[in-house]
Amino acid sequence: MSSVLKMMPNERRKTGLCRSGLTLREHRNQVLARTAETGAYNGLTKLAIKEGDPIFFEKLASRIRAVLVDARETAKKIAASPIVEQEGELCFTLYNPAGDAILTSTGIMIHVGTMGAAIKYMIENDWERNPTIQPGDMFTNNDCAIGNVHPCDVATIVPIFWQGDLVGWVGGVTHVIDLGAVSPGSMSNGQFSRFGDGLQITCRKTGVNDEPLRDWLHESQRNVRATNYWILDERTRIAGCHMVRDRIEEVIGEVGIEVFDGFGYEVIEDGRVALHKRVKSMLIPGKYRQVSFIDVPYKHEAMATPAQYAKIDSIMHSPSTIEIKKDGGWRLDFEGASRWGWHTYNSSQVAFTSGIWVFMTQHLVPNERVNDGAYYGTEFHLPYGTWMNPDDRRTGHAYAWHFLVGSWTSLWRGIGRCYFGRGYLEEVNAGNSSTANWLQGGGINQDGDFHAVNSFEPAASGTGARAWADGLDHAAAIWNPEGDMGDMEIWELAEPMVYLGRAIKANSGGAGKYRGGCGFETLRMIWKAKDWAMTFMGDGYVVCNWGMMGGYPSSAGYRFCAHNTGLKERIENGESLPLGHDWDPDHPEWEKSLWSGAEVIRDKQTMATEQAFEDYDLYLNLIRGGPGFGDPIERSCRQIEADLNGHYVLPRFAQSTYGAVVSQDAKGLWKVDDAATAKRREEMKKERIARSVPVRDWIHQERQRVVLKDAAVHVRHMYASSFSGSKKFLEEFRKFWDLPKSWILRLGEEGIEGFGQMSIPLDSLPDVRRVVLVDESVERPEDY
Amino acid sequence: MNNLAHLVEVMGIDAGGTMTDTFFVRADGEFVVGKAQSNPNDEASAVMESSGDALHLWGRKLEEVYPELVTAVYSGTAMLNRVVQRKGMKVGLIVNRGMEDFHRMGRGIQCYLGYSLEDRLHLNTHRYDEPLVPAERTVGVTERVDCHGDIVIPLREKEAVEATTRLLDQGAQAIAIVFLHAHKNGKHERRVAEIAREILARRGSNIPVFTSVDYYPTRKESHRSNTTILEAYAAEPSRKTLLGISDRMRGVGAKYDLRVMASHGGTISWKAKELARTLVSGPIGGVIGSKFLGEALGYDNIACSDIGGTSFDMALITKGEFAIQKDPNMARLLVSLPLVAMDSVGAGAGSFVRVDPYSQSIKLGPDSAGYRVGCCWEEGGIDTVTVSDCHVVLGYLNPDNFLGGALKLNVERARQAIKTQVADPLGLTVEKAAGGVIEILDQSLRGHLRSMINAKGYNPLDFVCFSYGGAGPVHTYGYTEGLGFKDVIIPAWAAGFSAFGCATAEFEYRYDKSVDIAVPPSASDGTKTASCVTLQQAWDELAEKVIEEFRINGFKPEDVILKPGFSMQYLGQLNDLEIDSPLGTVSSVEDWNRIVEAFDETYARVYARAARSPELGFGITGAIMRGIVATKKPKVPMEPEEGPTPPRDSELGSRPFYQRGVWKIAKLYSMEALRAGNEIAGPAVIESPATTLVVPEGWSTRLDSHRLFHLREV
Repeated sequence: MSSVLKMMPNERRKTGLCRSGLTLREHRNQVLARTAETGAYNGLTKLAIKEGDPIFFEKLASRIRAVLVDARETAKKIAASPIVEQEGELCFTLYNPAGDAILTSTGIMIHVGTMGAAIKYMIENDWERNPTIQPGDMFTNNDCAIGNVHPCDVATIVPIFWQGDLVGWVGGVTHVIDLGAVSPGSMSNGQFSRFGDGLQITCRKTGVNDEPLRDWLHESQRNVRATNYWILDERTRIAGCHMVRDRIEEVIGEVGIEVFDGFGYEVIEDGRVALHKRVKSMLIPGKYRQVSFIDVPYKHEAMATPAQYAKIDSIMHSPSTIEIKKDGGWRLDFEGASRWGWHTYNSSQVAFTSGIWVFMTQHLVPNERVNDGAYYGTEFHLPYGTWMNPDDRRTGHAYAWHFLVGSWTSLWRGIGRCYFGRGYLEEVNAGNSSTANWLQGGGINQDGDFHAVNSFEPAASGTGARAWADGLDHAAAIWNPEGDMGDMEIWELAEPMVYLGRAIKANSGGAGKYRGGCGFETLRMIWKAKDWAMTFMGDGYVVCNWGMMGGYPSSAGYRFCAHNTGLKERIENGESLPLGHDWDPDHPEWEKSLWSGAEVIRDKQTMATEQAFEDYDLYLNLIRGGPGFGDPIERSCRQIEADLNGHYVLPRFAQSTYGAVVSQDAKGLWKVDDAATAKRREEMKKERIARSVPVRDWIHQERQRVVLKDAAVHVRHMYASSFSGSKKFLEEFRKFWDLPKSWILRLGEEGIEGFGQMSIPLDSLPDVRRVVLVDESVERPEDY
Repeated sequence: MNNLAHLVEVMGIDAGGTMTDTFFVRADGEFVVGKAQSNPNDEASAVMESSGDALHLWGRKLEEVYPELVTAVYSGTAMLNRVVQRKGMKVGLIVNRGMEDFHRMGRGIQCYLGYSLEDRLHLNTHRYDEPLVPAERTVGVTERVDCHGDIVIPLREKEAVEATTRLLDQGAQAIAIVFLHAHKNGKHERRVAEIAREILARRGSNIPVFTSVDYYPTRKESHRSNTTILEAYAAEPSRKTLLGISDRMRGVGAKYDLRVMASHGGTISWKAKELARTLVSGPIGGVIGSKFLGEALGYDNIACSDIGGTSFDMALITKGEFAIQKDPNMARLLVSLPLVAMDSVGAGAGSFVRVDPYSQSIKLGPDSAGYRVGCCWEEGGIDTVTVSDCHVVLGYLNPDNFLGGALKLNVERARQAIKTQVADPLGLTVEKAAGGVIEILDQSLRGHLRSMINAKGYNPLDFVCFSYGGAGPVHTYGYTEGLGFKDVIIPAWAAGFSAFGCATAEFEYRYDKSVDIAVPPSASDGTKTASCVTLQQAWDELAEKVIEEFRINGFKPEDVILKPGFSMQYLGQLNDLEIDSPLGTVSSVEDWNRIVEAFDETYARVYARAARSPELGFGITGAIMRGIVATKKPKVPMEPEEGPTPPRDSELGSRPFYQRGVWKIAKLYSMEALRAGNEIAGPAVIESPATTLVVPEGWSTRLDSHRLFHLREV
């Protein structure tokens, strides 16, 4: 008791919660100042604990890490949502008092940063004074304006105290199945701003003395559709956070608070240094430029967006430069990215920077020591006002992943070129698939309950081809390498629709010497549902993942659903039924097994808002594939045979894309004729040369079109959007195409929608301090 | 040692990948262990050879002892190897039309099952294994049943005829039938089986037909189908192997029915209908042995720990029972077999030790040198430091008595390897580096052990820790230090403990069935009574299956002791908890409340009081029935106590021994020569051919009259 008193002199309590007596904000400012001054996190140019006893350091790290992993494994069994329980969409992270991540469990690792951002927001906005931070408190956050990815990722944050001082935080996040947005499902579709995205909670104190507050429970539970999932998800998070907190208290009791406290900063600097060493030994200094695009197709009638100005077609633009420095540092620069928009695919800066580690841990740093050291070891330039760092507080984020996934797939190519150059062929991957379709909806389910659904089958999309082997079929998602499509019987429990098929999707993986992994398709028939409505979400017109070194992109998605199918009668009469594969969408077969008067939708408009479905209606959930690597005409004949016989490639594409000369025997087995194929491929090479033009000539032809602004409206909108936020990008564009200084495309000019060019930043609100974690400098063109 | 006054009654066999161990126990509790090289092509010979090796120690012959044996239990990895190497039967698979790809697609999780945490993140390392049944032998038949068991699309029988014919034409050696939700309504599966059997009869074929509803009627089609396929793919061929062993035993006079260790922790007859559950049985033997010893010696709560060359396996026995995991994985396949719940960590004596060049941190495993030991055994061809190398350098292991002296270890070679690969990069001395490796491993194992106990809602203070496995006793002090166990026990036969455990297993069948009982918070008494009726019906059905299995082995229904259980959840959850029913039969509202209470209490302990959600109502997802018949068990050895001082002939001299930064002199003892009652204070090393017990300074151990060492901090 005496030592406690000694640690807590009364006058010190009047200032701050930190051990030093400083307020959390003063403390964080000092950490940042020491970091800026020395280049080392918190000024730790020397790691006293690690260097003094590397073995002890190691032991402590592995012990804390085990605490986090165990909490995740145990807590997830409490949940009811298959997204959490079956797909593992949850994670727990430990933070130091400054809100920087010490260590994390596996799971949706993007939240290492997003929960840290929430803690930093509380610190910067003086939560310490009001609503106060006490032992036993719980805070809930899912606010995208301060760093969350999308509102369905709900975080519970619990402070850790030791003898009256705040010594850390633990955060737990789950991806909830519904949060009362415009349409049912976790990632609502059709709204165009924050105000339709669903319930958003800003670091609210939702519990005291380890118990949730009743006003919070009542309010939150009636503001979501799938309340039972909501309740158990929250209990999952709370139980996990409390497990971590209690075990960390044990650790502190054993190693002492001095050591624990010191470790919480050293381990971050250690992570920063390790990243630089890794970059230095795996990559090659220089600048790597790449770009990707993805569609925003809101004009179509299937998108019932309730605002004229948002009903436009556009394209997300994500040019990027990876600069590898000689000292192992690096900078990721997204100058020229599109502006934020009236859709739900905007991303906060933290979602972007933190999410990148989900991608980097899949190859560059696949280790269990991921923490904010990686963030401090990386420079990010995300210009303020772009879709990845909006300067407006109205932006929608419900499906931020549409852009994140589309943007990052190009980074695989950039970094893959480094690996390839260094000879690390085994690390090369041509890119991630666009992880869709998102089957979502709601209504009255098979048990007569009010319900929302959100299938996570895209967690097992096809992966990109490697430089030495095909991508994996139906295996993973960029946001979770531990992907899984789950059992059909479990999804049927959660969703009132029976499977009529689950099949590998031929041609969904990009062609190549090594092909991209194929996705799959599941055909669902609505069953025992009432007042049921569903949405579609995914890429359709634009493919984001292009393939590498001559590999082809994967196929973009399409939409299939059918109403008035007549299937009830066809089932009774024993007639043919649509089952399994939608073999070749260009030559559809399923329609032959539907009533002639059926209403069939089959198009490339893969974003669609709520549509009513009745029993015996059909819905296709098409899961995308990954891009290819290397020229398809270098693929071995035996692999093409295996593709044909395993239904990974359609015969007509084996011929046209791969140049294979194929035949089928009496039993239906495909054979590829080696000699004839070799001959055909020689011809193809000649054909390629024959239709090629010198780059110089091509640029010349294209320039004419650029000068005349001869491009589709969504292409013009995309460039106008990029130019509006970047003088540098505009000037580079003009220089490349040799355009006059007066040439420009503007938002709002003839034919290009320009509604909403003014921004209303978050910190225009009273008493709000924004937390800035990246270089967000912007230089707009002069007259913008 | 030859004491004909005591008959040899019990035999346990642990046929591993490299060695086949046999364990014979006499009526007075004395035992011998035999070893022989495993022979995948002729398992029976390896068993005989190993038996000879063991019985030789008593100076007795196979022909004398086998007729005396009352019971024998086999446990082996042959079936597992058949699966891993994909050398099973050509199975034909009938599934829902439209779902022909689902088996070969597998589940995403199967492409990283068994991986370390780091590789689970490292996407390019993931890979799918070849499916058990290829696409060309998978045929679809139109039908659909929904999750309530209602028929959506009636079975199209004509397609079943075509499917069977096609599979037979393709040379299928067995047919497995799996339809979605067959566990809720098996009518269609059974009808297809009937059709298939008619066609088989017409074609004069007698290949087996398996339906998932009759084998593994539990929810989750990937688990249920893998298991049903395994029954056809691997279990039937293994039955032939077991028949071969049984025949050889009968050839030397055996009169018992050979039993096989099964995943649920009991033993079943080699004639059992569901033999796939004998797929994994290796590491669970130790858990069964611990439970048995616990019962004999009065320990209710036991933490079981087993370290071999490649892994550290842990299990908990609470209130005399071990837990069961229902949807585990084996050989990188999801299965629906009840498996003794164990946590495994990929760290053992053979684990490789490396320094990460980027973070300068020590990494252990996940790969290991296995039987090739480490750099200290040059002939093994290993150049990367292993944990064993550290042990040799620090004086924990005797370089001249490894595996009873069968391998001579080179201390200097190990030293050099540690210096260049670990010590120099970290700027440490060889001793400090090697000692650090051991400390990191011990602390990681200790962390896992503590987590396992905490995660189940318990505290180590309430547990006795059993430590066994060839490499276990070297680490026992390290991974139990500071946890506060009531007692830490190392059996003198630690290296043969799995084989011993098999010999102690119950003759026990266990059957599971998915049920869907939902009792919302507002439910009437009528609903609760009806739920009891549904549960009781499921129990009755399972009890019939259990009794039928025993009937095959000549037991009468009245010989069988039935133990019902159930899996319960708060309504809507996906996971459930398995509870031993506090009641033998259920029928009333009071009964319902009683079983709910049992669940609620367990839930609060396992998760957290705050995680309880009774306001959601309760659901029962599974009915469980276990049946046991009495069998002969080995006796625990009993020797008279002979005082604390070890006999002179147990002393083997001394050796330098590194502990916590200081070289000390450890006294050496022969484990076999120590007598009951002897006490040894550390630093000391107690050696036996197959295992080494390390007693550091500050610790002491006492050998009790059951030949169990008790290790404690002093």
